[in-house]
Amino acid sequence: MKVWRHHAVLCLFIAGCAALAARVVYLALLDKEFLQDQGDARSVREVVIPSRRGVIYDRLDEPLAISTPVVAVWSDPSKRKLSRADINRLAPLLGRDAEQLADHLVRHANKAFVYLKRRLSWTAAERVRALGIEGLHFSEEYRRYYPGAETAAHVVGVTNIDDRGLEGVELAFDDLLSGEHGRKVVLKDRLGATIRDLEYIAVPRLGQDVALSIDLRLQYFAYRELKDAVAGHRAASGSIVILDARTGEILALVNSPSYNPNESLELGFAGMRNRAVTDNYEPGSTIKPFAVLAALETGEYQPDTVVNTAPGYWAVRRKLIEDPVNYGELTLAGIVRKSSQVGISKVALALPERAVFEVLQRAGVGDFVGSGLPGEAIGTFDDSGLRSEVVRATLAYGYGLSVSPLQLAQAYLPIANDGVRLPLSVVKLSQPPQGERVFAAAMTRQLLSMMEGVTERTGTAPDAQVPGYRVAGKTGTARVVVSDGYTDQRHVALFAGVVPLTDPQIVMVVVINQPSGPKISGGAVAAPIFARVAERALRLLGVAPDAQHLIAAVEGRRS
Amino acid sequence: MKWGAAAVAAILLAGVVASGVQVVARTHEVRLLHQALEASRHHQDRLAAEHSRLLLERGARSAYYNVEQMAQTKLGMRFPDRVERVPR
Repeated sequence: MKVWRHHAVLCLFIAGCAALAARVVYLALLDKEFLQDQGDARSVREVVIPSRRGVIYDRLDEPLAISTPVVAVWSDPSKRKLSRADINRLAPLLGRDAEQLADHLVRHANKAFVYLKRRLSWTAAERVRALGIEGLHFSEEYRRYYPGAETAAHVVGVTNIDDRGLEGVELAFDDLLSGEHGRKVVLKDRLGATIRDLEYIAVPRLGQDVALSIDLRLQYFAYRELKDAVAGHRAASGSIVILDARTGEILALVNSPSYNPNESLELGFAGMRNRAVTDNYEPGSTIKPFAVLAALETGEYQPDTVVNTAPGYWAVRRKLIEDPVNYGELTLAGIVRKSSQVGISKVALALPERAVFEVLQRAGVGDFVGSGLPGEAIGTFDDSGLRSEVVRATLAYGYGLSVSPLQLAQAYLPIANDGVRLPLSVVKLSQPPQGERVFAAAMTRQLLSMMEGVTERTGTAPDAQVPGYRVAGKTGTARVVVSDGYTDQRHVALFAGVVPLTDPQIVMVVVINQPSGPKISGGAVAAPIFARVAERALRLLGVAPDAQHLIAAVEGRRS
Repeated sequence: MKWGAAAVAAILLAGVVASGVQVVARTHEVRLLHQALEASRHHQDRLAAEHSRLLLERGARSAYYNVEQMAQTKLGMRFPDRVERVPR
């Protein structure tokens, strides 16, 4: 009897062991894959390692575009409904109306993903987290801020909802600026905390920062003056470009109308166009200095060479070239000072056929600027009609070609920089670029002194004077081409200037498109803007005055 | 001889148990360190976010326009008349 019991217990025990062993074999060998997958599905997660887009700085390290993390708060009403008490506590922190929020949640009660608030600041999100309401989820997203707002909008540009560049520097340097999110596989515990990193699928790449040549302070003044002027003269638009005469860096580039990149906006909005870069204008008389330069280069003309412009008009073939009044005998310097069409035409036609064209070509007219800003216009500038005397005459006073304000500034740069042409740059340079000599320094010096006459009392732009500084410049008033030819109703007022004359630091181009007030000429519309912006710019850049003795005279005249 | 074999077995057993305990302890330590790492990463993210916000704030406060306004209204400063300026 004792033996029987002993055997029975032993048998049961062995049977039990066998059953367990069989189960182990089943689980570990036959069903392993399924179970492993199920286990992994509950604990192995692929997570995104967020990367941020690079910062765009101005030349003084002020941020122009910066990405900062914000939080999206969402819930899953299909799994967990928020109580009304919770909603009441939540709504003020989200900046939403409690009724509205409750309504919103009821309407989407069977959805699995409902945003309660997007782009919530980090601090506000922390306060929401602190409420400890169950069923709230937080996901991080980046929002890009533009501290320069509309002042620098055209240079800096904007990004789209996916954080890719759409306009301006954001587009031009998109590859550099945009980071790449990384991905890794991690093991999570029951509470959702990461226990271990298993594998990196992609290492995150941080976006690179970009430092621009722009000076936000100059940008600000230029924009304010331009905006006021465009409104004051009831103009269609306007642009200002300021270059560093020694390095070719773009210190400021503004357009009006502009837009605020911090607000969501529709693409293709007119204010988004970077007119200083993308729009072409006939430059009018601002081209005359180049014709004068061509004359100087022949060696047959000196600043005091006399040209007879009487009786104030001159017929070339069947085209009548007219001055507003009969200037009589003018020196070459006088032609620049008075902006005489007849004078410059007579000079241009006395020169070799390609002389003026080639001077413009060397200055960079018709060349791609290569500033790095997207959408650069190339304008129209070709030598196909140069055999015609009319074409040569009109080219000398700025018709029959078109340039963008940026191109015009580029062309004036060698005049300011002792005849050395520099590539323009929207990026801050660590050292001045290699230039290319295109004119003799003696020639550009002579030309600059002649252009100073423009801003003297008897010139076309006394309003371009900057107290304490000697200014060289040239006005331009171009008629706008409409469908049936040039019109006398619409004009473009231009002023291109270099300051200070004795040691040029900045080159500035002001373009006011279609002013429709009582004043329409470059000297009356664009020159005063030049003077106001240049005065501020020179003060901010710490440029020493080169004409202290002129201050009293200007003061007297202004008051 | 018999005692010798038993002693070896006992030592091995003790070794196995000890190393097993060590494995558990290290695994736990790895978890704790990993949690600390995660916390540090989170902290780093927060600091980076804070930095970007402070940069923004600095940009807003030091905007030339604000400085000028403040200088003129709060401090009663003004631009010098041209004759007061001295060349360097």
